[in-house]
Amino acid sequence: MRFRRYALLLAVLLTSLFLLTVQTRGGGPTRAADLVALAITPVQSLLANAHRGALTAWHTFTDWKTVQSENMALRADNERLRVQSLQVRETDQENLRLRRLLALRDRMPLATLTGEIIGREGGGWARSLTVNRGRADGVAQQMPVIVPAGLVGRVAQVRSGASIVQLLNDPASTVGAVVQRTRTPGLVEGEPGGGVRFKFMARDGAGVVPGDLIVTSGLGTLFPKGIPVGRVTAIEDKGSALFHFAVLAPAVDAARVEEVLLLTGQSTQDIAGLFTPDG
Amino acid sequence: MRLSLLLMVFGGSLAQSSVVPSWSVGGVTPDLPLILTAFIALRRGPEAGCLVGFAAGLLQDVTGGGLLGVQALSRALAGFAMGLLPGRLWVGHPLVQIPGLVLLTVAEGLVRFGLLQLLHFPASIGELLAHVILPQALYNGFLGAACVLAVELAQTLRGRHTWT
Repeated sequence: MRFRRYALLLAVLLTSLFLLTVQTRGGGPTRAADLVALAITPVQSLLANAHRGALTAWHTFTDWKTVQSENMALRADNERLRVQSLQVRETDQENLRLRRLLALRDRMPLATLTGEIIGREGGGWARSLTVNRGRADGVAQQMPVIVPAGLVGRVAQVRSGASIVQLLNDPASTVGAVVQRTRTPGLVEGEPGGGVRFKFMARDGAGVVPGDLIVTSGLGTLFPKGIPVGRVTAIEDKGSALFHFAVLAPAVDAARVEEVLLLTGQSTQDIAGLFTPDG
Repeated sequence: MRLSLLLMVFGGSLAQSSVVPSWSVGGVTPDLPLILTAFIALRRGPEAGCLVGFAAGLLQDVTGGGLLGVQALSRALAGFAMGLLPGRLWVGHPLVQIPGLVLLTVAEGLVRFGLLQLLHFPASIGELLAHVILPQALYNGFLGAACVLAVELAQTLRGRHTWT
Protein backbone atom coordinates (compact mmCIF):
# COMPACT_ATOMS: atom_id res chain seq x y z
CA MET A 1 0.00 0.00 0.00
CA ARG A 2 2.72 2.40 1.06
CA PHE A 3 4.87 1.30 -1.89
CA ARG A 4 2.00 1.94 -4.30
CA ARG A 5 1.51 5.39 -2.79
CA TYR A 6 5.15 6.43 -3.25
CA ALA A 7 5.32 4.75 -6.66
CA LEU A 8 2.44 6.96 -7.75
CA LEU A 9 4.18 10.05 -6.41
CA LEU A 10 7.37 9.07 -8.16
CA ALA A 11 5.52 8.51 -11.43
CA VAL A 12 3.88 11.91 -11.21
CA LEU A 13 7.17 13.61 -10.38
CA LEU A 14 8.95 11.88 -13.22
CA THR A 15 6.20 12.77 -15.66
CA SER A 16 6.37 16.41 -14.62
CA LEU A 17 10.13 16.48 -14.82
CA PHE A 18 9.97 14.80 -18.21
CA LEU A 19 7.59 17.44 -19.45
CA LEU A 20 9.83 20.19 -18.12
CA THR A 21 12.90 18.62 -19.61
CA VAL A 22 11.28 18.21 -22.99
CA GLN A 23 10.35 21.87 -23.03
CA THR A 24 13.57 23.32 -21.73
CA ARG A 25 15.99 21.35 -23.89
CA GLY A 26 16.40 22.69 -27.36
CA GLY A 27 16.77 20.58 -30.54
CA GLY A 28 16.23 16.87 -29.92
CA PRO A 29 13.15 16.79 -27.71
CA THR A 30 11.10 18.94 -30.08
CA ARG A 31 9.25 15.85 -31.21
CA ALA A 32 8.33 15.01 -27.61
CA ALA A 33 7.17 18.58 -27.02
CA ASP A 34 5.09 18.32 -30.16
CA LEU A 35 3.58 15.10 -28.86
CA VAL A 36 2.72 16.80 -25.59
CA ALA A 37 1.25 19.72 -27.46
CA LEU A 38 -0.69 17.31 -29.66
CA ALA A 39 -2.28 15.77 -26.60
CA ILE A 40 -2.74 19.03 -24.77
CA THR A 41 -3.89 21.35 -27.56
CA PRO A 42 -7.43 19.94 -27.89
CA VAL A 43 -7.84 20.21 -24.12
CA GLN A 44 -6.40 23.70 -24.20
CA SER A 45 -8.70 24.66 -27.03
CA LEU A 46 -11.65 23.20 -25.17
CA LEU A 47 -10.68 25.03 -22.00
CA ALA A 48 -10.12 28.26 -23.88
CA ASN A 49 -13.56 28.00 -25.47
CA ALA A 50 -15.16 27.12 -22.16
CA HIS A 51 -13.19 29.94 -20.55
CA ARG A 52 -14.43 32.38 -23.16
CA GLY A 53 -17.98 31.11 -22.74
CA ALA A 54 -17.78 31.36 -18.96
CA LEU A 55 -16.32 34.86 -19.23
CA THR A 56 -19.06 35.93 -21.60
CA ALA A 57 -21.70 34.43 -19.32
CA TRP A 58 -20.09 36.07 -16.31
CA HIS A 59 -19.88 39.46 -18.02
CA THR A 60 -23.45 39.13 -19.22
CA PHE A 61 -24.49 38.35 -15.67
CA THR A 62 -22.53 41.26 -14.15
CA ASP A 63 -23.79 43.60 -16.88
CA TRP A 64 -27.29 42.44 -16.21
CA LYS A 65 -26.83 43.00 -12.48
CA THR A 66 -25.46 46.49 -13.16
CA VAL A 67 -28.26 47.32 -15.56
CA GLN A 68 -30.79 45.93 -13.13
CA SER A 69 -29.49 48.01 -10.21
CA GLU A 70 -29.23 51.11 -12.45
CA ASN A 71 -32.75 50.43 -13.65
CA MET A 72 -34.03 50.21 -10.09
CA ALA A 73 -32.22 53.42 -9.12
CA LEU A 74 -33.58 55.21 -12.18
CA ARG A 75 -37.10 53.96 -11.47
CA ALA A 76 -36.83 55.27 -7.90
CA ASP A 77 -35.51 58.62 -9.22
CA ASN A 78 -38.28 58.75 -11.78
CA GLU A 79 -40.91 58.08 -9.13
CA ARG A 80 -39.46 60.73 -6.82
CA LEU A 81 -39.28 63.31 -9.62
CA ARG A 82 -42.82 62.50 -10.70
CA VAL A 83 -44.08 63.11 -7.17
CA GLN A 84 -42.07 66.35 -7.00
CA SER A 85 -43.45 67.43 -10.36
CA LEU A 86 -47.01 66.77 -9.16
CA GLN A 87 -46.35 68.75 -5.98
CA VAL A 88 -44.92 71.65 -7.97
CA ARG A 89 -47.85 71.58 -10.40
CA GLU A 90 -50.30 71.48 -7.50
CA THR A 91 -48.56 74.41 -5.82
CA ASP A 92 -48.54 76.35 -9.10
CA GLN A 93 -52.24 75.82 -9.60
CA GLU A 94 -53.01 76.80 -6.01
CA ASN A 95 -50.82 79.87 -6.44
CA LEU A 96 -52.68 80.85 -9.62
CA ARG A 97 -56.09 80.36 -8.01
CA LEU A 98 -55.12 82.41 -4.96
CA ARG A 99 -53.66 85.19 -7.14
CA ARG A 100 -56.91 85.41 -9.09
CA LEU A 101 -58.95 85.37 -5.91
CA LEU A 102 -56.84 88.09 -4.31
CA ALA A 103 -56.97 90.19 -7.47
CA LEU A 104 -60.77 89.93 -7.45
CA ARG A 105 -60.86 90.83 -3.77
CA ASP A 106 -58.75 93.91 -4.42
CA ARG A 107 -61.03 94.97 -7.28
CA MET A 108 -64.23 94.47 -5.29
CA PRO A 109 -65.91 97.71 -4.13
CA LEU A 110 -67.22 95.95 -1.03
CA ALA A 111 -65.86 94.08 1.97
CA THR A 112 -64.96 90.43 1.44
CA LEU A 113 -63.67 87.52 3.41
CA THR A 114 -61.59 84.70 1.93
CA GLY A 115 -62.45 81.12 2.81
CA GLU A 116 -61.22 77.64 2.07
CA ILE A 117 -63.45 74.72 1.18
CA ILE A 118 -63.23 71.99 3.81
CA GLY A 119 -66.20 69.84 2.84
CA ARG A 120 -68.62 69.04 0.01
CA GLU A 121 -72.12 67.60 -0.20
CA GLY A 122 -73.01 66.41 -3.67
CA GLY A 123 -76.06 64.18 -3.29
CA GLY A 124 -79.27 64.90 -5.19
CA TRP A 125 -81.10 66.20 -2.14
CA ALA A 126 -78.75 69.03 -1.36
CA ARG A 127 -75.65 70.45 -2.98
CA SER A 128 -73.41 72.47 -0.74
CA LEU A 129 -69.86 73.34 0.26
CA THR A 130 -68.47 73.83 3.74
CA VAL A 131 -66.23 76.88 4.17
CA ASN A 132 -63.80 77.31 7.06
CA ARG A 133 -65.32 80.67 8.02
CA GLY A 134 -68.13 80.94 10.55
CA ARG A 135 -69.89 83.11 13.04
CA ALA A 136 -66.62 84.06 14.72
CA ASP A 137 -65.41 85.54 11.42
CA GLY A 138 -68.50 87.66 10.96
CA VAL A 139 -70.22 85.43 8.44
CA ALA A 140 -74.01 85.78 8.26
CA GLN A 141 -76.73 83.81 6.51
CA GLN A 142 -77.51 84.61 2.86
CA MET A 143 -74.07 86.10 2.20
CA PRO A 144 -73.11 85.66 -1.47
CA VAL A 145 -70.12 83.42 -2.16
CA ILE A 146 -68.10 84.04 -5.28
CA VAL A 147 -64.92 83.06 -7.11
CA PRO A 148 -63.17 84.92 -9.96
CA ALA A 149 -65.37 83.06 -12.48
CA GLY A 150 -68.68 84.04 -10.89
CA LEU A 151 -71.31 83.10 -8.35
CA VAL A 152 -70.89 79.94 -6.29
CA GLY A 153 -73.96 80.27 -4.09
CA ARG A 154 -75.05 81.73 -0.79
CA VAL A 155 -74.41 81.00 2.87
CA ALA A 156 -77.24 78.79 4.04
CA GLN A 157 -76.09 77.96 7.56
CA VAL A 158 -73.57 79.58 9.86
CA ARG A 159 -71.78 77.69 12.60
CA SER A 160 -69.12 78.83 15.01
CA GLY A 161 -66.11 78.00 12.83
CA ALA A 162 -67.63 77.07 9.48
CA SER A 163 -70.46 77.86 7.11
CA ILE A 164 -72.55 75.80 4.71
CA VAL A 165 -72.82 77.33 1.24
CA GLN A 166 -75.86 76.38 -0.81
CA LEU A 167 -74.69 75.91 -4.40
CA LEU A 168 -76.47 77.32 -7.44
CA ASN A 169 -77.44 73.85 -8.61
CA ASP A 170 -79.01 72.89 -5.28
CA PRO A 171 -82.66 72.00 -6.01
CA ALA A 172 -83.79 74.58 -3.44
CA SER A 173 -81.62 77.41 -4.80
CA THR A 174 -83.21 80.42 -6.50
CA VAL A 175 -81.30 83.51 -7.61
CA GLY A 176 -82.72 86.62 -9.28
CA ALA A 177 -80.85 87.17 -12.57
CA VAL A 178 -80.96 88.93 -15.94
CA VAL A 179 -79.67 88.20 -19.41
CA GLN A 180 -76.72 90.57 -19.64
CA ARG A 181 -77.29 91.39 -23.32
CA THR A 182 -81.06 91.92 -23.34
CA ARG A 183 -81.66 92.62 -19.61
CA THR A 184 -84.44 90.02 -19.70
CA PRO A 185 -85.23 89.23 -16.07
CA GLY A 186 -85.82 85.78 -14.62
CA LEU A 187 -84.85 83.29 -11.96
CA VAL A 188 -81.93 80.88 -11.92
CA GLU A 189 -83.00 77.63 -10.30
CA GLY A 190 -81.12 74.46 -9.40
CA GLU A 191 -82.38 71.12 -10.67
CA PRO A 192 -82.42 67.75 -8.90
CA GLY A 193 -80.29 66.33 -11.72
CA GLY A 194 -77.50 68.79 -10.95
CA GLY A 195 -78.17 71.24 -13.77
CA VAL A 196 -79.08 74.92 -13.61
CA ARG A 197 -81.84 76.64 -15.60
CA PHE A 198 -82.97 80.20 -16.18
CA LYS A 199 -86.73 80.69 -15.97
CA PHE A 200 -87.96 83.73 -17.86
CA MET A 201 -91.21 85.16 -19.17
CA ALA A 202 -91.70 84.23 -22.82
CA ARG A 203 -92.88 87.46 -24.36
CA ASP A 204 -91.86 89.37 -27.46
CA GLY A 205 -88.44 90.89 -27.13
CA ALA A 206 -87.10 88.36 -24.63
CA GLY A 207 -84.70 87.28 -27.36
CA VAL A 208 -82.65 84.87 -25.25
CA VAL A 209 -80.27 82.82 -27.39
CA PRO A 210 -77.62 80.23 -26.62
CA GLY A 211 -74.38 81.87 -25.61
CA ASP A 212 -76.03 84.67 -23.64
CA LEU A 213 -74.45 85.41 -20.26
CA ILE A 214 -76.76 85.39 -17.24
CA VAL A 215 -75.73 87.64 -14.33
CA THR A 216 -77.27 88.45 -10.97
CA SER A 217 -79.95 91.12 -11.26
CA GLY A 218 -79.17 93.02 -8.08
CA LEU A 219 -82.88 93.27 -7.30
CA GLY A 220 -83.38 92.94 -3.61
CA THR A 221 -80.48 93.24 -1.22
CA LEU A 222 -79.04 89.75 -1.39
CA PHE A 223 -76.67 89.65 -4.40
CA PRO A 224 -74.80 92.61 -5.89
CA LYS A 225 -75.63 93.31 -9.51
CA GLY A 226 -73.60 91.71 -12.29
CA ILE A 227 -72.09 88.55 -10.80
CA PRO A 228 -71.84 85.94 -13.62
CA VAL A 229 -74.13 82.97 -13.01
CA GLY A 230 -73.91 80.96 -16.20
CA ARG A 231 -74.15 80.91 -19.96
CA VAL A 232 -77.20 79.78 -21.97
CA THR A 233 -76.62 76.50 -23.78
CA ALA A 234 -80.18 75.73 -24.94
CA ILE A 235 -83.73 77.11 -24.84
CA GLU A 236 -86.62 74.87 -23.85
CA ASP A 237 -89.48 76.37 -25.85
CA LYS A 238 -92.78 75.47 -24.23
CA GLY A 239 -94.87 76.89 -27.09
CA SER A 240 -97.59 79.15 -25.72
CA ALA A 241 -96.53 78.70 -22.06
CA LEU A 242 -96.05 81.84 -20.03
CA PHE A 243 -92.51 80.89 -18.98
CA HIS A 244 -89.65 79.45 -20.96
CA PHE A 245 -86.54 77.84 -19.58
CA ALA A 246 -82.94 78.30 -20.70
CA VAL A 247 -80.48 75.58 -19.83
CA LEU A 248 -77.34 77.11 -18.33
CA ALA A 249 -73.75 76.05 -18.13
CA PRO A 250 -72.79 77.40 -14.68
CA ALA A 251 -70.06 80.02 -14.66
CA VAL A 252 -68.42 78.17 -11.79
CA ASP A 253 -67.59 74.49 -11.68
CA ALA A 254 -68.41 73.94 -8.03
CA ALA A 255 -66.66 70.58 -7.99
CA ARG A 256 -63.32 72.31 -8.60
CA VAL A 257 -63.70 75.24 -6.24
CA GLU A 258 -61.12 75.24 -3.43
CA GLU A 259 -61.01 78.86 -2.24
CA VAL A 260 -63.89 81.39 -2.22
CA LEU A 261 -64.70 84.98 -1.37
CA LEU A 262 -67.62 85.68 0.97
CA LEU A 263 -69.16 89.11 0.29
CA THR A 264 -69.63 90.59 3.74
CA GLY A 265 -70.47 94.10 2.50
CA GLN A 266 -73.21 95.55 0.33
CA SER A 267 -72.95 97.41 -2.97
CA THR A 268 -75.45 98.66 -5.54
CA GLN A 269 -72.74 99.04 -8.21
CA ASP A 270 -72.78 96.68 -11.22
CA ILE A 271 -69.71 94.55 -10.73
CA ALA A 272 -69.98 92.46 -13.91
CA GLY A 273 -66.82 94.06 -15.32
CA LEU A 274 -64.73 92.73 -12.44
CA PHE A 275 -65.15 89.12 -13.50
CA THR A 276 -63.20 87.53 -16.29
CA PRO A 277 -64.56 84.66 -18.43
CA ASP A 278 -61.60 82.40 -17.60
CA GLY A 279 -61.92 83.11 -13.89
CA MET B 1 -16.79 8.89 -7.79
CA ARG B 2 -13.82 9.28 -10.13
CA LEU B 3 -16.05 11.15 -12.54
CA SER B 4 -17.04 13.59 -9.79
CA LEU B 5 -13.36 14.14 -8.95
CA LEU B 6 -12.60 14.73 -12.62
CA LEU B 7 -15.46 17.20 -12.88
CA MET B 8 -14.29 19.01 -9.75
CA VAL B 9 -10.75 19.32 -11.10
CA PHE B 10 -11.94 20.43 -14.53
CA GLY B 11 -14.55 22.81 -13.06
CA GLY B 12 -12.09 24.27 -10.56
CA SER B 13 -9.49 24.94 -13.24
CA LEU B 14 -12.09 26.40 -15.55
CA ALA B 15 -13.44 28.65 -12.78
CA GLN B 16 -9.89 29.72 -11.90
CA SER B 17 -9.37 31.12 -15.37
CA SER B 18 -12.87 32.52 -15.86
CA VAL B 19 -14.82 33.47 -12.75
CA VAL B 20 -12.14 33.72 -10.08
CA PRO B 21 -10.30 36.72 -11.64
CA SER B 22 -13.38 38.79 -10.91
CA TRP B 23 -12.96 37.99 -7.19
CA SER B 24 -9.67 39.85 -7.23
CA VAL B 25 -9.02 41.97 -4.15
CA GLY B 26 -6.16 44.41 -4.56
CA GLY B 27 -4.81 42.33 -7.43
CA VAL B 28 -4.82 39.12 -5.36
CA THR B 29 -6.94 36.18 -6.47
CA PRO B 30 -7.53 32.94 -4.61
CA ASP B 31 -6.21 29.63 -5.96
CA LEU B 32 -9.34 27.54 -6.29
CA PRO B 33 -7.70 24.39 -7.75
CA LEU B 34 -5.23 24.33 -4.85
CA ILE B 35 -8.06 24.65 -2.33
CA LEU B 36 -9.88 21.78 -4.06
CA THR B 37 -6.70 19.71 -4.08
CA ALA B 38 -6.19 20.30 -0.35
CA PHE B 39 -9.74 19.34 0.62
CA ILE B 40 -9.77 16.26 -1.62
CA ALA B 41 -6.40 15.19 -0.22
CA LEU B 42 -7.62 15.60 3.36
CA ARG B 43 -10.69 13.50 2.69
CA ARG B 44 -9.33 10.87 0.27
CA GLY B 45 -5.68 10.52 1.13
CA PRO B 46 -2.32 11.14 -0.54
CA GLU B 47 -2.95 9.18 -3.78
CA ALA B 48 -6.09 11.11 -4.64
CA GLY B 49 -4.43 14.34 -3.51
CA CYS B 50 -1.40 13.67 -5.67
CA LEU B 51 -3.41 12.79 -8.80
CA VAL B 52 -5.88 15.65 -8.37
CA GLY B 53 -3.00 18.09 -7.73
CA PHE B 54 -1.16 16.84 -10.81
CA ALA B 55 -4.25 17.07 -13.03
CA ALA B 56 -5.27 20.47 -11.73
CA GLY B 57 -1.71 21.80 -12.01
CA LEU B 58 -1.33 20.46 -15.53
CA LEU B 59 -4.59 22.10 -16.58
CA GLN B 60 -3.41 25.37 -15.07
CA ASP B 61 -0.07 25.03 -16.84
CA VAL B 62 -1.94 24.49 -20.10
CA THR B 63 -4.34 27.37 -19.64
CA GLY B 64 -1.68 29.66 -18.19
CA GLY B 65 0.66 29.28 -21.15
CA GLY B 66 3.75 28.69 -18.99
CA LEU B 67 6.02 25.69 -18.77
CA LEU B 68 4.06 22.46 -18.67
CA GLY B 69 4.82 20.52 -15.52
CA VAL B 70 5.75 23.24 -13.03
CA GLN B 71 2.37 23.56 -11.36
CA ALA B 72 1.63 19.91 -12.06
CA LEU B 73 4.68 18.96 -10.02
CA SER B 74 4.25 21.46 -7.18
CA ARG B 75 0.55 20.69 -6.77
CA ALA B 76 1.06 16.95 -6.95
CA LEU B 77 3.57 17.30 -4.09
CA ALA B 78 1.21 19.57 -2.18
CA GLY B 79 -1.72 17.17 -2.62
CA PHE B 80 0.39 14.22 -1.59
CA ALA B 81 1.73 15.99 1.53
CA MET B 82 -1.74 17.20 2.51
CA GLY B 83 -3.09 13.68 2.10
CA LEU B 84 -0.53 12.33 4.58
CA LEU B 85 -1.64 14.69 7.37
CA PRO B 86 -4.86 12.94 8.55
CA GLY B 87 -2.84 10.04 9.93
CA ARG B 88 -0.56 12.38 11.86
CA LEU B 89 -2.68 15.40 12.80
CA TRP B 90 -6.28 15.92 13.85
CA VAL B 91 -7.38 17.66 10.66
CA GLY B 92 -11.15 17.30 10.95
CA HIS B 93 -11.56 20.68 12.62
CA PRO B 94 -11.77 23.86 10.52
CA LEU B 95 -9.33 25.56 12.88
CA VAL B 96 -6.71 23.07 11.68
CA GLN B 97 -7.83 22.91 8.07
CA ILE B 98 -7.72 26.65 7.41
CA PRO B 99 -4.22 27.39 8.77
CA GLY B 100 -3.15 24.16 7.05
CA LEU B 101 -4.44 25.54 3.77
CA VAL B 102 -2.55 28.80 4.31
CA LEU B 103 0.67 26.92 5.05
CA LEU B 104 0.12 24.60 2.10
CA THR B 105 -0.26 27.58 -0.22
CA VAL B 106 3.00 29.03 1.06
CA ALA B 107 4.78 25.68 0.76
CA GLU B 108 3.43 25.10 -2.76
CA GLY B 109 4.56 28.60 -3.72
CA LEU B 110 8.05 27.93 -2.39
CA VAL B 111 8.27 24.61 -4.27
CA ARG B 112 7.10 26.28 -7.46
CA PHE B 113 9.64 29.06 -6.94
CA GLY B 114 12.37 26.46 -6.39
CA LEU B 115 11.48 24.66 -9.63
CA LEU B 116 11.40 27.91 -11.56
CA GLN B 117 14.71 28.93 -10.07
CA LEU B 118 16.20 25.83 -11.68
CA LEU B 119 14.88 27.25 -14.95
CA HIS B 120 16.37 30.71 -14.23
CA PHE B 121 13.17 32.44 -13.10
CA PRO B 122 14.18 36.09 -12.54
CA ALA B 123 11.97 37.29 -9.63
CA SER B 124 13.26 37.35 -6.04
CA ILE B 125 11.70 35.23 -3.31
CA GLY B 126 11.10 38.28 -1.07
CA GLU B 127 8.97 40.07 -3.64
CA LEU B 128 7.12 36.90 -4.54
CA LEU B 129 6.36 36.18 -0.89
CA ALA B 130 5.25 39.74 -0.15
CA HIS B 131 3.15 40.37 -3.23
CA VAL B 132 1.96 36.97 -4.43
CA ILE B 133 2.39 33.99 -2.15
CA LEU B 134 1.39 35.37 1.29
CA PRO B 135 -1.60 37.46 0.13
CA GLN B 136 -2.86 34.52 -1.91
CA ALA B 137 -2.32 32.19 1.06
CA LEU B 138 -4.48 34.45 3.25
CA TYR B 139 -7.13 34.73 0.58
CA ASN B 140 -7.11 30.94 0.20
CA GLY B 141 -7.55 30.65 3.96
CA PHE B 142 -10.63 32.88 3.96
CA LEU B 143 -12.14 31.18 0.91
CA GLY B 144 -11.31 27.77 2.36
CA ALA B 145 -13.08 28.69 5.59
CA ALA B 146 -16.14 29.71 3.57
CA CYS B 147 -16.00 26.42 1.65
CA VAL B 148 -15.71 24.40 4.88
CA LEU B 149 -18.70 26.20 6.38
CA ALA B 150 -20.70 25.68 3.17
CA VAL B 151 -19.88 21.96 3.10
CA GLU B 152 -20.79 21.54 6.77
CA LEU B 153 -24.04 23.42 6.26
CA ALA B 154 -24.88 21.22 3.26
CA GLN B 155 -24.11 18.09 5.28
CA THR B 156 -26.28 19.32 8.16
CA LEU B 157 -29.16 20.05 5.81
CA ARG B 158 -28.76 16.66 4.13
CA GLY B 159 -28.81 15.02 7.56
CA ARG B 160 -32.02 16.85 8.42
CA HIS B 161 -33.67 15.72 5.25
CA THR B 162 -32.70 12.07 5.57
CA TRP B 163 -33.48 11.40 9.24
CA THR B 164 -36.92 10.09 8.32
